Amino acid sequence: MINRRRIWALMRKDWRELSRNGQAAAPLIIVPMLFVVVLPIAVVLLGDNTLLTSSIGGLQGFLDHLPVGLIPAQFSPQQSVVYAVLVYFMAPFFLIIPVMVSSITAASSFVGEKERRTIEGLLYTPVTDRELVLAKTLVSVIPSVALAWVSFLVYTAIVDLLAGPRLGGIFFPTWTWVVIVVVLVPLVGFLATSLIVAVSGRSRTMQDAQAASVLVILPVLGLVVSQATGLLLFNTSVALMASAALLVLDVAVYLAVVGRFRRERIVTLL
Amino acid sequence: MVSPAEALAPDSKVPTLIASRLTKTFGTRTAVSDLSFEVARGHAFGLLGPNGAGKTTTVRLLTGLISPTSGDVTLFGERLTRDNADELRARVGVQTDTNLYETLTVRDNLLVWGELYGLNRRAIGRRTLEILEILALSDRIESVVGELSKGMRQKLSVGRAVLHEPELLFLDEPTAGLDPEASEDLIVCLVQMIHAMRTTVILCTHQLHGLEKLCTDVGIIEAGTLVTTGDVGELLRLRWPRQRYSVSVGADRDRAERVITQVVGEVDETKGSAHLDFSVDDADEISDVVAALVGAHVPVRSVVPRQPTLHDLYFATVEQRDKS
Repeated sequence: MINRRRIWALMRKDWRELSRNGQAAAPLIIVPMLFVVVLPIAVVLLGDNTLLTSSIGGLQGFLDHLPVGLIPAQFSPQQSVVYAVLVYFMAPFFLIIPVMVSSITAASSFVGEKERRTIEGLLYTPVTDRELVLAKTLVSVIPSVALAWVSFLVYTAIVDLLAGPRLGGIFFPTWTWVVIVVVLVPLVGFLATSLIVAVSGRSRTMQDAQAASVLVILPVLGLVVSQATGLLLFNTSVALMASAALLVLDVAVYLAVVGRFRRERIVTLL
Repeated sequence: MVSPAEALAPDSKVPTLIASRLTKTFGTRTAVSDLSFEVARGHAFGLLGPNGAGKTTTVRLLTGLISPTSGDVTLFGERLTRDNADELRARVGVQTDTNLYETLTVRDNLLVWGELYGLNRRAIGRRTLEILEILALSDRIESVVGELSKGMRQKLSVGRAVLHEPELLFLDEPTAGLDPEASEDLIVCLVQMIHAMRTTVILCTHQLHGLEKLCTDVGIIEAGTLVTTGDVGELLRLRWPRQRYSVSVGADRDRAERVITQVVGEVDETKGSAHLDFSVDDADEISDVVAALVGAHVPVRSVVPRQPTLHDLYFATVEQRDKS
């Protein structure tokens, strides 16, 4: 049985501590801003300029292999590039945002408490392993997802305001985008964060945790990037099915992390 | 198995804690070996031993934080297992040398702890004020913990452990790093709290000063093995069955020693000091000693009873163990 009050108490405690660490906030803002402000503005302004397609890694290849029929037939080459990039190419970035943001805080979840010598006190409380792992995961997932959602709103506004007039009116977001952002983003964030929290519980120092997190997260990121665009090329129901599969994976990973969580290992690694 | 109601009854004879043949090994190193003792409800048990003796490992074993390699722990009449450890820990308070949340205020530290132990906001507020009052920290309630002195933080960590009024309280070196005055203050606070709440206490320390005020029972642990355990008064009586006195005799020490030896048989070893310690079976023998000294023209400045302390017991036990 999970005690929500204890989870909430732990999360509030961690957020209070995080809020006093201004250094942690900078990358949380800078990375999403790059994705949702700088890139769409550059795409809208430069269109099919070779400077743009050559400076964004993988963009030219993506455009070359885009299936026929996805871009409205009446669009000019320049409009087609803008549409393809804004609607299809950018999707993975929104899935990367929660992973990147939560990795900054999740890596320190247990090892940070170890380094500050607060973890043992916490382990003496009646908080269960399930509650502890869930609280430490949600502490990172919730702000990262919130940031991804805010980024999505900003992106939507920028895209529709700048590109809408050039593409014949408001065209964004599509329903598949909504599913990806509302459902897939939290699920991907939870999956990646659970894995990083598990790594944090087994690390001796923050550096160890961060290094190991990169190794754990890279396959997840690879999977996300490779599949996200593909999902957009299909339809909403495919995206929903992918979400259901990811939900099952999330639950399985969370239970596995809890099952392998050992207080003894944490205190004897202090 | 004892029912919870039975274990909780005010006149319960069920010991709050039973450690039964506890052994813990890490690889080839044995941290704790065959440890057995029990602590009755409302008693304060001092687990005494030098650094590295196995005290912290014992606390971790007794609270289910680590599992014994062999042996059992029974808390409140229930055998401690991985499945019930969280539930039983709700009835336990632990103060260790771990840190408080340094960037949070005193109030927030206690608030988080109260919520983790299931107290409602009103109860947390009431207990926070009560505890800070006892600990003389009321005026620091809004202070960030990182700004407090070492002594204040130490007191607060004890306060945090007793916030939820635990039935069993573990204190691991509660006076470590404190100056003598702060240490004395903290012991007084602890005695007040323990008496007010009738909590069972297990105190692990190597700092022996002032423990008599706190501990009813002790166990002395060395190199992971419990060397002795029992009621403090009983252990002292067993170790020193005769009453001890100290006489101050000024300069003529050798003559005084001969006189006292004639009366009581022997003088305890007190090298180089102007006073001599000796033991008698009966307090009436003191007047014989004083009369003999006066008769031998030895100036007697004072005669004071010298009750052996936990400090004496600890060193005598460790010394005896080392010799054997």
